[in-house]
Amino acid sequence: MAQTTQKIKRPKTLYQRFKENSKAQSAATIVMPVLLGVVIVILWQSQALHHLLRTNTFTLPLLTRIGEIFGENLDKIWDNSVATMTVAFVGLLIGSLLGYGVAIFAALCPRVGKGGLTVIGAFASIPVVALAPVMNNWTKDVSDVASVRSMVAKILVVMLIAAANMCLNAYRGLTELKPYAMDLMDTYAAKKRTVFVKLQLPNSVPYIFTALKVSVPSSIITAIVSEYFAEYIIGVGRQIRENIVLAQYPTAWAYIAAACLLGVAAYVVLMIAQSILLRRYH
Amino acid sequence: MVKKVNKIFDHKWASTLLWIIAIIIVWEIAACIVAATKRTPENILPHLYQIVAAIFSPKEVSSGMTAIMIVLTSARATILRSLLGFLLGIAAGFLLALIMKMSGLLEKMLFPYLMLIQLIPVLGLAPIVLSITGDINKSRIIIAAILSFYPVATNTLAGFKSVSRDKYDLMYTYAAKKRTIYTKVLIPSAIPYFFTGTKIAAPMAITASILVDTLQGDGGLGCMLSQSLKHAMSIYVFWLIVFFSAFIGILSTHLMSWIEALISPEKRVIRKAKREDRKMKAAKAPEAAKDYVYDRRARMCSKRRS
Amino acid sequence: MSELKEREVEIQIRDLGVTFKDNAGNDVKALTGVNLDICKGEFISLLGPSGCGKTTLLRTIADLQEPTEGTVRISGMTPKEIRLQQKFGFVFQQPVLFDWRTVKKNVELPLEIMYQSKEDRSKRADEMLEMVGLKGFANHFPNQLSGGMQQRVNIARAFGIRPELLLMDEPFSALDEFTKEKLHEDLLRIWRQTNKTVVFVTHNIQEAVFLSDRICVLSPHPGRLSAVVDVDLPRPRTLEMKESEHFNELVYEVRGKFEGGSV
Repeated sequence: MAQTTQKIKRPKTLYQRFKENSKAQSAATIVMPVLLGVVIVILWQSQALHHLLRTNTFTLPLLTRIGEIFGENLDKIWDNSVATMTVAFVGLLIGSLLGYGVAIFAALCPRVGKGGLTVIGAFASIPVVALAPVMNNWTKDVSDVASVRSMVAKILVVMLIAAANMCLNAYRGLTELKPYAMDLMDTYAAKKRTVFVKLQLPNSVPYIFTALKVSVPSSIITAIVSEYFAEYIIGVGRQIRENIVLAQYPTAWAYIAAACLLGVAAYVVLMIAQSILLRRYH
Repeated sequence: MVKKVNKIFDHKWASTLLWIIAIIIVWEIAACIVAATKRTPENILPHLYQIVAAIFSPKEVSSGMTAIMIVLTSARATILRSLLGFLLGIAAGFLLALIMKMSGLLEKMLFPYLMLIQLIPVLGLAPIVLSITGDINKSRIIIAAILSFYPVATNTLAGFKSVSRDKYDLMYTYAAKKRTIYTKVLIPSAIPYFFTGTKIAAPMAITASILVDTLQGDGGLGCMLSQSLKHAMSIYVFWLIVFFSAFIGILSTHLMSWIEALISPEKRVIRKAKREDRKMKAAKAPEAAKDYVYDRRARMCSKRRS
Repeated sequence: MSELKEREVEIQIRDLGVTFKDNAGNDVKALTGVNLDICKGEFISLLGPSGCGKTTLLRTIADLQEPTEGTVRISGMTPKEIRLQQKFGFVFQQPVLFDWRTVKKNVELPLEIMYQSKEDRSKRADEMLEMVGLKGFANHFPNQLSGGMQQRVNIARAFGIRPELLLMDEPFSALDEFTKEKLHEDLLRIWRQTNKTVVFVTHNIQEAVFLSDRICVLSPHPGRLSAVVDVDLPRPRTLEMKESEHFNELVYEVRGKFEGGSV
């Protein structure tokens, strides 16, 4: 009996120890991606990446060169970034509001509204390349100034994509309530408006962020793609294309870097907004 | 009469149809206005019947081909390439998710980059990819693959992570091998999530392929779209391509749903059960209406009392 | 306890203690100083309020939880060895069923893992489904079944592997009273047929008294075994027994152990 009551101690392997140590794990969360980043930078700078992709430093300039160009053209890059972000942001804002409006309509009168969801949801599947030229055609009369009408066209494209995204998610937020929440409201004989304001609207807030997580990056991409088709030459996306046509690859890469930065910045802003606004939900 | 109208709206398609009709009406009204005020209305907003007529028109618009022939032949190049890229992308996405699930360290290493890919405007990279590969077909495939890769990888990974603690515990009590846990629990659990990813990826792959077309005059839907816009051929080719690409974009998402229903029997069965349930409810609807009347009367009584 | 000596001891628990770390990094004693012998073929209940460590004890027996101190021996072997021999049947509180498998395929799952032939699997699954009264639902999917039916599938699956030891973690706590009573009778019938050892975790005193040979009463803060009560109701048990005076005396006795034993 005595030997069975002894404490059993099994030797642990180094790997097991590492796995069970929470500090080591959280350190790995930061160290590992940085490590990969460093490896990529080294591969790029040492031109190993160029051998791998069978290309040269002309089409794929070294990172230092891209950085140099980026610094030299900071003013122009800033102007074009502002143009792209304006389109993306305004389109996202109007589109999301519109999408939310349709979702409310569908939630309040589901019989008629549900079809609207299907139709608007289908807009999300329409290629941007097809929408952009159509919008260009439709906005010819908006203004005599090419920069204005071309911006309106771009905003309309972003708007449609953002609306499609928002309306499907918001509808789920307005209708997928906790079980019995609706019954509880019924027992209070709450008015439809009260139920909407007190129950459905707050319930949809996390879903709004779900939608935004998808539509923030996608509205920037949509803005960039619709710049390709726009009449007036401005925007990060358009500059990428124009510079490649002129075979100025380092400049094109500088704009690609700018586009990536815009995407990351917008996402970080969204995450901060979410952590502030959703604090009550968790 | 009102009852009859209500009954029609019990079907989901009825309200969809209503919306489509509404859009057609708005389009046609706008088309009439444009036709009355503009010199070249077909450039801005042609009547829908004009677009339909263009499908069947035997008139040759360019090098001995009718409008619809141009659309279909160029669509073949675009769709085949995007399909190939899509398949490569979803396979890579699934494998990456699997690898990330197997190794916690690799997951930690790759996850931030996976998030980053979403934020990089890959379509903006299209011209660069074209100049690196120098081949439009390869570029189509690569861009379509990158775009389909991301949603599939993140969704599948979420699927692997959705497996509850209980299921692992159950497998543990059976002393199941790691491989068995993957084949019998993890992968089947991730399948619905994988399809959610492909539903997002499919239209993106098509968009990517069409966009790459526009970069080089080498055939494909995007190329014809640009040429038609520059009035190198009938403007109706443009309209046909717009509608055609919208159609295949929507179709691709639905196709993914059909494939999913085909390979997951439980979804089919549940859907069928739901349909029957709806029918039952519809049959019971008159009774529900009676309840409602009764309810109203009860409420009125209570109001009077108060 | 004289009767127990004649029967073969299957599970031997000595000075068992389990300590967790909470989020703040403090040690929390989930179980401490548990000594218990469980006999072959016995139906034993672990009874206590939430937080008393009854589930932890069950999980330790099943090798789902490693003890911090003390030992568990099952037929002279460690829980891990028994688990690797695939001799455990574990029934969770939730019916852990796989949505993409039919009811029958769910029952066959552990048999697949144990590399049994297709015919054997199919035959065994049919037997088990008949035993729990779900013969007609073999080709249904779990989502089409009610909660009670799902839990029956779960039980069928656990018995399907012919386990040496059946471990049940509050299997009926989420079910309504009528379904629960029906499943109690079913469980006792199946247990009589198979004569396996059952360790049954519950927080319901009536349930424990009705089902068990012995009841282990556990108390929280820290989790410990505070009393063992023998249930001398005759077998086979019937629902009428629940109305009997002796049954109520036993319930009363068990309840007394709680108030005396807990802090």
